[in-house]
Amino acid sequence: MAKFVVIGERLSTTAPSVNKAFTSRDPEPIIQRAKQQLDAGATYLDVNIGPAENDGPDLMKWAVQLLQSEFDNVPLALDTANKAAIEAGISVYNRAKGKPIVNSADAAGRIEYIDLAAANDAIVIALCNGEGIAKDNDERMMYCQTMLERGMEHGMDPSDLWFDPLFLVIKGMQDKQMQILECIKMISDMELNSTGGLSNNSNGMPKHIRPIMDSAMVAMAMMCGLTSAIVNPNDLRLMETIKSCDIIKNNNLYADSYLEI
Amino acid sequence: MPFNGKSGKFNASINTVEIGCGEKAIKIGGENVYPFYTFDAPIENAPKIGVMISDLGLENEPAGVKAYYEGCSSFAEIAQKAAAMPGADFVCLKLEGADPNGENKSTEECMTVLKEVVDAIDVPLVVYGCKNVTKDAELLTKAAEVAQGKNVLILAAKEENYKGIGAAAGLAYNQKVGAESAVDINLAKQLNVLISQLGVAPANVVMNVGTAAVGYGFEYVVSTMDRVKAAALSQGDAQLQMPIITPVADEAWSTKEAIASEEDMPEWGDQEARGIGMEVSTAASVLASGSNAVILKHPTSVATISALIKELV
Repeated sequence: MAKFVVIGERLSTTAPSVNKAFTSRDPEPIIQRAKQQLDAGATYLDVNIGPAENDGPDLMKWAVQLLQSEFDNVPLALDTANKAAIEAGISVYNRAKGKPIVNSADAAGRIEYIDLAAANDAIVIALCNGEGIAKDNDERMMYCQTMLERGMEHGMDPSDLWFDPLFLVIKGMQDKQMQILECIKMISDMELNSTGGLSNNSNGMPKHIRPIMDSAMVAMAMMCGLTSAIVNPNDLRLMETIKSCDIIKNNNLYADSYLEI
Repeated sequence: MPFNGKSGKFNASINTVEIGCGEKAIKIGGENVYPFYTFDAPIENAPKIGVMISDLGLENEPAGVKAYYEGCSSFAEIAQKAAAMPGADFVCLKLEGADPNGENKSTEECMTVLKEVVDAIDVPLVVYGCKNVTKDAELLTKAAEVAQGKNVLILAAKEENYKGIGAAAGLAYNQKVGAESAVDINLAKQLNVLISQLGVAPANVVMNVGTAAVGYGFEYVVSTMDRVKAAALSQGDAQLQMPIITPVADEAWSTKEAIASEEDMPEWGDQEARGIGMEVSTAASVLASGSNAVILKHPTSVATISALIKELV
């Protein structure tokens, strides 16, 4: 099995400093955050430019070229609701270190993002939901099937659809947590890849609790077969947990210095 | 449904490492498939063969080896003759005389021999220590300096002495660093991590993951090499993508099959032929398990393994 893929989540317009840097095309804060994440062990970087209704294509091109030239063609997840911006980003994307990831499609209004990924030989994150949050795993797996078929009809390799079960917040939906883990297991049993915004589970918890809860969640999810997550790689406890789980799962060969590499 | 053949080549590949200078420099590694899987993707750099010579001369060598070097009266001539052996790509000078439990030659004495050999040949050179970690720390650090400008491979840095040897060979004198572990895959990786943390570029490191002669715990060797290549290629493990060199001669020629005389073991047949058999079968096996280079000593073994490689790559 391949190593767990960490997608760094810290280049997002939800962070005011990043938003400002994107808007003003200020490279420094972007490069700094990217470097912190890569140094901490991120493989992919998520580039979330928000809805970017006005200048999406231009902004995404700028961000892709900035990051790939600065960091040896680092592979990226292009994260926006603006389809034209994703296409523009892919048009200048260098694949030397990995295919671009389209973030994201779902089984309802955003299903065409799968077609977009297929047309551009990209990976796509496929959210297992339609309109609103799925009520149970039957529904999630139905969406999963729909999107898998859509991708394959368009010539995609099934391994390029990374299914997102949608992690739910514990404070409010505690009783649904095992369902999500079971969903990951079902996806894994179909030999498909999976990912998701894992830290959503600890939303609203005190700051010192979140790394603990996220680490527990990632360990249980990796046990169920989760192959990737969109997380904060600068959470040391979380990264140590992921690296340790990769060792236990035999995804990576053990060496005494495994936490340092 | 039509059959679609799928290539077993990997996205990851073994590092290409160049040893030596000029026209006769060799490249080892570079492949993105399992050993000899040329049907999946071409293997650009065929495995290479080195000829081992010793600073103790020819006295203890089998008759066929002595005969090959007949007339050679200096280390320079022996080295030139080794370089000219049909099928050979490089020479390996073993400084076994430095061993404190043997001749205990001084580092200066050994460096005189090394200098003579370095100046005599234009094929790539591998400098092999005396296996005593303390003495090797001094000996190989000095060897890296003496062979400056020749892009030699220093065999080897071990867990106990990697800092000095790694820094001298890999940083100060721009040679290639051999990283030696004893048939332990976790240690093989760890040593590569430690050497890279010194600042030595991965493209300047070659692994000796250890070996045994066939029949002497050889399953462990095969499984170690198999797993190194699997991790390097299928898991893309950058800390295991260094090519592998395996010194075969010492192991093969010290087995009882190679040592027992014909008087003692008449039913085993010709003694030298047994040694060659051990050397050839061990070399062929480590190549099939992933070694990118082997070090042999008998001309018949070198010719045989060279023919094998030519047939397969």
